[in-house]
Amino acid sequence: MKSPWRLRDYVFAAFMTIGMVIAVFIVGPFAPPGLQLLFWAPLGGIFLTLGMARLQRRGSVALMILPLAVLLGLISPIISLYLAVTVLVTELVMFFLGNYRRKINRLWGNVLFFASANLGGLLLGAYLIKGSRADPFVKIATQPGVLILLTVLAGMAGIVGWWLGESAVKQLQRAGKMDVDV
Amino acid sequence: MRKRNFLTQINPLLKIIVCITILFVALLLHDIKAISVLVITLLTLVLVSVRINLKIFAYVAIALLIFMAISTWLRDFHISVISSLRLFAILLPTPLLASTTSPSDLVRAIQAARLPNFIVLSLMLIWRFLPVIQQEAQRIIEANWLRGINVVRQPRQWFSGLLMPLIFRIVAYADDVTVGLETRGYDPQAPRSNSQPLRWQLKDTIFAVSAAAIVIVVGYLEWVA
Repeated sequence: MKSPWRLRDYVFAAFMTIGMVIAVFIVGPFAPPGLQLLFWAPLGGIFLTLGMARLQRRGSVALMILPLAVLLGLISPIISLYLAVTVLVTELVMFFLGNYRRKINRLWGNVLFFASANLGGLLLGAYLIKGSRADPFVKIATQPGVLILLTVLAGMAGIVGWWLGESAVKQLQRAGKMDVDV
Repeated sequence: MRKRNFLTQINPLLKIIVCITILFVALLLHDIKAISVLVITLLTLVLVSVRINLKIFAYVAIALLIFMAISTWLRDFHISVISSLRLFAILLPTPLLASTTSPSDLVRAIQAARLPNFIVLSLMLIWRFLPVIQQEAQRIIEANWLRGINVVRQPRQWFSGLLMPLIFRIVAYADDVTVGLETRGYDPQAPRSNSQPLRWQLKDTIFAVSAAAIVIVVGYLEWVA
């Protein structure tokens, strides 16, 4: 079967991944421990939305996040596993919703990605990490109320990222740098 | 020019496997002697193989001291020492791997691991352009300083003052790189050739045996002794 992806898609996805990594560096010093994802989502969501808007097909999120998962596997294989699960959840739901051509689908993509990343991160932290370092994760994971609240907050942070991303798409279109119909 | 030391010449795939093994072992250790042996070995290798900037060394030392102080205050000194050593054992393999492996060696290792072509291409681009885009971000911050705006301290300005210019630069780089690869006839679907395929050498055997010996000693101290 011929791949629907072209070279420009791969390159664009890789550069959006770089954008997301840079967003981590920008937010990193300001984010309190344990809430990094909530702080990262509004900035990381911009690049995720841009990638979805340009690539448009199913699998766009996987194309941007899987290389990151492989790269971060050098720091900890748990991070790779966590990102792979997050991508799987997002793409599986998006498979039934359609592609990323419509704004509403990109919004769903962002919400799903960041909410599942937050939930998956906390659950994996609680059950995979051994010893005293898992304590903060266990405390949150064993309180359903807090777990749901943090997941909803992560989804909302994803909405902020989507909103900023869509305004970036608009500006890029105006400047003639985004040559796709969105 | 990269200094050709022993670690630079080791099979990059082997180095990645050893690093992942060390990470797993470090996460399992609780005995202070066992973690100390692992950290001392890694630290010696880092000091011998990596040229460390004194400023970075000072930052790391201060961060570690703060971490230990907070950890001692929250729990006790013994746990804080173990946590700090474990943190060291988890963090040290990364600079060791990164500074003794050239980007081309890393790509060869990823190709040898039979990863899909799009992941190899993406990793290659991330490895190559992450520092370039970081420099672009720094230039944008400095340009804002010249206009009297300290973007770093004003989160409100992040989107319009830092991220939008950065997005434009990233999109421009993506387009330029695509054109560059297309004009060189790069096809992500085509099978890749390699002028220097990875080979197993005597040095790799020595490195693998030494790494296994260290892991065995650490395991003995943790679970047997």
